[in-house]
Amino acid sequence: MAKQYAMIVQVAKCIGCQACTVACKFQNEVPDGQYRTKTPAIGPKGTYPNLSLFFEKEACQMCKNAPCVKVCPTRASYKNEDGVVLVDVDKCVGCKYCMTACPYDARFTNAKTGAVDKCSFCYEIRVGNGQKPACVSTCVGGALEFGNINDSNSDAAKLLAKYKAQVRKPEFGTIPNVYYIYEGVK
Amino acid sequence: MDITWGVSASHHLPWHWLIAVYLFLAGVSGGAFLTAALTDMYSKDHNIRIIRTGAYIAPVSIIIGLVLLVFDLGRPLHFWKLLINVNAGSVMSIGVFIISIFSGLAAVYGGIVWLASNSGKRITKGVHAAADEIAATGKGIQSLRKPVAILGSLFAVGTATYTGFLLSAVTTNGLWHVPFLGIQAVPFLPILFLVSAMSAGLAATLIGAGKSEITIYKKIDLVFIVLELILLAILYASIKSVFFSGTMGTIFWLGVVAIGLVVPFFLTVYSLAKHKSVVVPVSAMIVVGGLCLRFFVVYSGQMFK
Ligand code: SF4
Ligand code: SF4
Ligand code: SF4
Repeated sequence: MAKQYAMIVQVAKCIGCQACTVACKFQNEVPDGQYRTKTPAIGPKGTYPNLSLFFEKEACQMCKNAPCVKVCPTRASYKNEDGVVLVDVDKCVGCKYCMTACPYDARFTNAKTGAVDKCSFCYEIRVGNGQKPACVSTCVGGALEFGNINDSNSDAAKLLAKYKAQVRKPEFGTIPNVYYIYEGVK
Repeated sequence: MDITWGVSASHHLPWHWLIAVYLFLAGVSGGAFLTAALTDMYSKDHNIRIIRTGAYIAPVSIIIGLVLLVFDLGRPLHFWKLLINVNAGSVMSIGVFIISIFSGLAAVYGGIVWLASNSGKRITKGVHAAADEIAATGKGIQSLRKPVAILGSLFAVGTATYTGFLLSAVTTNGLWHVPFLGIQAVPFLPILFLVSAMSAGLAATLIGAGKSEITIYKKIDLVFIVLELILLAILYASIKSVFFSGTMGTIFWLGVVAIGLVVPFFLTVYSLAKHKSVVVPVSAMIVVGGLCLRFFVVYSGQMFK
């Protein structure tokens, strides 16, 4: 069976430390003021004693049904054999059509190259060498997991089997491969 | 709060005014070409001022539009990759070819019309051989005039419709992807942009008509205005009201509806009834309305998705 790489975010374990944000910045040499991933605070909402605050890691959701890939005029945006959506910088002309199509605001025009940029699951630089993405390896709270969810023995697949996971904005029919487990979030 | 825990939560829109102006110019170009070519082929009056103005506006505005578009790319020097890497499933990829072919045809047609008017002058002026020769080659080229006008008209409609399909293909956008009267297979924007392009292109061409007789064109313009008003009413009923809020609401109600349609409607009816000419201000207002429509759709669609 073909691989399907996916990321699982256990929201309740995330302490909002931004170690992932920083790890990504240096692993992928993302220009100043730009981010492939960020982990903004949701909240605080409500009044004491019913206050709620959690952090939600944002990045490309690696859609199975990726609108960015569909609209790209040069095929610079593509989905590879392991289910990862990538950008071929050499082919990209920077038309930003894909940015208008992405419902998750995951893409930006790289200030250095002029090409579109986004999270790649660190596919070329880490996953190919058997490592996990930089954010996952560095995560301080142990909130992030990554793996081939078509392999039921992978840690990622086990997490999905154990907890009820959600995807962001399911109404767009994009079928994301980044899952959020809200178990324990108040 | 703009800053959330060290990370800017505000995001800017991918497409801004350059794209709105480009979509507008492509529409004006298509409308102007059709006005000129149809007059050239079918009008008994054969109003040469209309033909000339339309035939010149078409290539000039599409080429300015294309320059803006290339300028807006993150990597302008790589624009040629759009021609060698094709994605048949991408509206933009197909549109690149439609617009390129249309630009070529519009330039050729403009050239043919220009040659015709100039070789005519030489014939009446001079009798020496050189001028006659130029006139003769001019005549040879004139045999291309009709086929170029026909083919160009098809691509003019293609170009104007494409500007709508470009946006309507973004299925994740609530404004751009809105279907026509709820029929999922029929996108709304290509229809709206085609009508608006014809109206704005015709209006732009009429500015160059001078004192010639243009009653029939004014009547056609009235039809376009009424059609567009009906389409906008359908649009208003089909999408969330948030798309019409704030600055976007002002652009829509003041720019698109009042300045672009309602005032020109009454002024045109008045000028037809009283045989008074208000062509230049009316046409200018229609053109401004067309520009406002592109701004409204491009910005509001991205702001409220
Ligand atoms: S999240 Fe956006 S950029 Fe990533 S695959 Fe989905 S549509 Fe494309
Ligand atoms: S910006 Fe690049 S990746 Fe995005 S649609 Fe245009 S060519 Fe494709
Ligand atoms: S490194 Fe882990 S704990 Fe820290 S913000 Fe990122 S996901 Fe949350």
